[in-house]
Amino acid sequence: MSVVEVARVSKRYDKVAALDDVSLTFGDGEFFGLLGPSGSGKTTLLRSIAGFVEPDTGDIRFDGKEVRDTPVHRREIGMVFQNYALFPHMTVFDNVAFGLSVRHAAATDIRERVMAMLGLVRLGGLEERRPRQLSGGQQQRVALARALVTKPRVLLLDEPLGALDKRLRQQMQIELKQIQREVGITTIFVTHDQEEALTLSDRIAIFNEGRVVQVGTPHTVYERPSSAFAANFLGDANFFVGVVAGMQGALGEIRVADGTAIYTRDPLPDRGAQITVAVRPEKLTIGPAPTSSGNGGAPTNRLRGVVTQAVYSGSSISYRIDVGVEVMVFAQNRTAQPVEPGTSVVLEWDPLHSVVVGP
Amino acid sequence: MRGLGDLLCKAYLGAVLVFLYLPIAVMMAMAFNRSALYELPMQFDTKWFVALAQNEKLLQASLNSVLIAIANTIIATVFGTMAAMAIHRFKFRGRTLLQLLLFPPITIPWLIIGTSMLVLFFWIGVGRGLHAILLGHVALSLPYVIVVVGARVKSFGEALEEAAATLGASPWQTFWRVSLPIMAPGIVAAALFAFAVSFDQFQISRFLAPPGVSTLPVVIYSAIRQGYTPEINAISTIIILVSMGLMLIIARFYKFGGER
Amino acid sequence: MRARSRERLTVVGLTAPAYLWLTLTIFLPLSAMLYFSFLTVAPFGGRQAEFTFDNYLTFFTKEVYRTNALRSLILGFYVTLGCLAVGYPAAMILAKHIRGRWREAIFLLIVLPFWSNALVRTFSWTMVLRGNGAIDWLVHLFVPDAAPVSLLFTYPAIVIGLVHAYVPYMILTCYISLQAIDDSLIEAARSLGAAAPAIFLRVILPLSLPGVIVGTILIFVPAIGSFMEPRILGGPNAIMLGTIIEDQFTAIFNWPLGAALSFILLAIVLLMLAASYPFLRRHLQGF
Repeated sequence: MSVVEVARVSKRYDKVAALDDVSLTFGDGEFFGLLGPSGSGKTTLLRSIAGFVEPDTGDIRFDGKEVRDTPVHRREIGMVFQNYALFPHMTVFDNVAFGLSVRHAAATDIRERVMAMLGLVRLGGLEERRPRQLSGGQQQRVALARALVTKPRVLLLDEPLGALDKRLRQQMQIELKQIQREVGITTIFVTHDQEEALTLSDRIAIFNEGRVVQVGTPHTVYERPSSAFAANFLGDANFFVGVVAGMQGALGEIRVADGTAIYTRDPLPDRGAQITVAVRPEKLTIGPAPTSSGNGGAPTNRLRGVVTQAVYSGSSISYRIDVGVEVMVFAQNRTAQPVEPGTSVVLEWDPLHSVVVGP
Repeated sequence: MRGLGDLLCKAYLGAVLVFLYLPIAVMMAMAFNRSALYELPMQFDTKWFVALAQNEKLLQASLNSVLIAIANTIIATVFGTMAAMAIHRFKFRGRTLLQLLLFPPITIPWLIIGTSMLVLFFWIGVGRGLHAILLGHVALSLPYVIVVVGARVKSFGEALEEAAATLGASPWQTFWRVSLPIMAPGIVAAALFAFAVSFDQFQISRFLAPPGVSTLPVVIYSAIRQGYTPEINAISTIIILVSMGLMLIIARFYKFGGER
Repeated sequence: MRARSRERLTVVGLTAPAYLWLTLTIFLPLSAMLYFSFLTVAPFGGRQAEFTFDNYLTFFTKEVYRTNALRSLILGFYVTLGCLAVGYPAAMILAKHIRGRWREAIFLLIVLPFWSNALVRTFSWTMVLRGNGAIDWLVHLFVPDAAPVSLLFTYPAIVIGLVHAYVPYMILTCYISLQAIDDSLIEAARSLGAAAPAIFLRVILPLSLPGVIVGTILIFVPAIGSFMEPRILGGPNAIMLGTIIEDQFTAIFNWPLGAALSFILLAIVLLMLAASYPFLRRHLQGF
């Protein structure tokens, strides 16, 4: 049963479409990521669900019921803002208790629930402090506790980890996921950080210019991007543009400009059609010579070229190779011996990883 | 050479401060001078302050000034805070215009503001008097209140109020429990400002005060033009200490709440 | 749509009291006075007033008005110049040579008198400038046989009083501009070979121009319309456009003429602002 349903929502500001015919459903207990560049509409959608933005057309439904006429303070949502928005004139306790106290809950009830929630986010003992006395990570947890203590229907997070440094971010990502699992609440979060989206989400929606470009699990969206934009925004990709040449057994064959053949397992349009294929850099192996047999007799993808750049990053090495066009390869640093620039190499990859992304 | 330059700089600042405070210091000293003709050298005496307590005219004028200042503070602070909230929390078409309209009251010479108020009030029957003076003072205070409270409202952004809404607080609850407490330092600073503006205001009070009923600055002005009474120094000393004291409190307060 | 009209109502409700008040006390009065400036007599006490340009023409036909308007403009010029000469160096020292606690404290000290009672401060200068006043006494300390020194009721006294009243404005605006100049800009200039005078003329002065301009406007406008300081420090014979206008309303009771002169004053101010607008536009970007 979907807890939140967004149906054909559009919103314009002057001439610009912030949201263009967006439809999404968010399931019970799901951790859903809205990913996209700045201005792509993801924040506008989040704020529409919260009630701060009124869509021009379309419906938003909570548990099947339209919420267009429900003001923000009656939607029973929990929201964590980018800068936490903790009330500076209240203690941590009062901040977390706020949602309960405006509902006139009993004092003992409040105390019990607030302390339990502070324990859940591991902030016990800090309830008398003021927000300005806390570190960034602590403030973030207060914001989370405050949003969750009222047991809202859905939790909305607006770039919740944006203000934290890298190490803290990674740590908080794990904690956030744990807490969400434990509480079991449907969570929608906005981020422009792809790694974060992949790590936290059960499903991701990629936004571009107000439209949803692709929806799916992190695995699906990453391994099988449906467009060049998605392929390029989420991770890196090598693109090969060519013309459909036909079938080679179970594999489709594409000829690129210099005549090289590229094979894929994806369905192809008719012969002669223009086609673009994306290959993720980590799917290519790099070596001095072709490995024997390849795919058990079936053709495999093979390119020859010269290494133009090798960037050492500790656990991995990024190569740029000139095969006529420039190709990126990410290799795990297993041998501690990067391939030197100037070396002739052979690149290979499985046709399974050639993804058709468009004409 | 560095040290000399540094010394000269500090000396210059010192000179500027002396320039600013010398007359005030002299005046305060004269308030305690026994001579009615301000003869030097000085002989300490508090008789002028005692005489002050008997000067009906000055006392009445002081009372008027204080009462008007209090009324002015309440009205200007309430109306100004409301306007500041509207301007900085909502987006609407006339917004820039409303902000521009705050310029005329503070940039047009008070002479013109005072005389034009006199003209209109006389014409429509409001006439001169303490009520007219109050009308004028609030007009001068409003821009300051709106700007000072506005800066405070702006510095805290809407996120806090949005957060309160997501937590279930109705607009009314949000205002009382979140917006107002956070605006409080700005509101207090603005109120003190408004009080000072009214209490010290001379130019427009001069035109709106009928003979016999006056505020303190206007009475002092007449006294100066007609011939000195040394009680003027005494009351002036008190006034200036009150004014500067108020400003010091504002500075404290604004510092306190103004930081993020 | 309902939310939006509710919002509009809220905005109107919140802004109406303040702005209605301003309309009644600032904008309507100005309109009324504009109307009056075209009348022959003030329409009170049953008198019949007719439309006329005479009040404005008087400004051009009668020598005294033009002369004093010019006097007022010159006064404004001297006062602004004085404030610049005294205030700009002070602002610069404060912005660049003093750090930390002292800076705030001195800043507060400078601004404090400015926000106290202007009338009282002007009056306090009489204590210093008059015969038997502080300056007189000081002079006689060193030169016991000197003649009595009184600067009161002289033109310089008015200038001193006005500079004293408004110099904190100049210090404030210049300080804001100067303080915003990043130290790294000056360091960059030095690394490129510029000596102190060049740095001042080519980096600091241009970047502090917005503060200077704003300060000038804030001081010049009230200075040319002042009547209190000229009267108190210049004596009964000190005549400026401001005192003439004051007299029309409080002694001579020729309100239409006073109204016309007021608008001429206003027009002079607006003309100067308009003439300097291109200059202002270009240099006020960063203020």
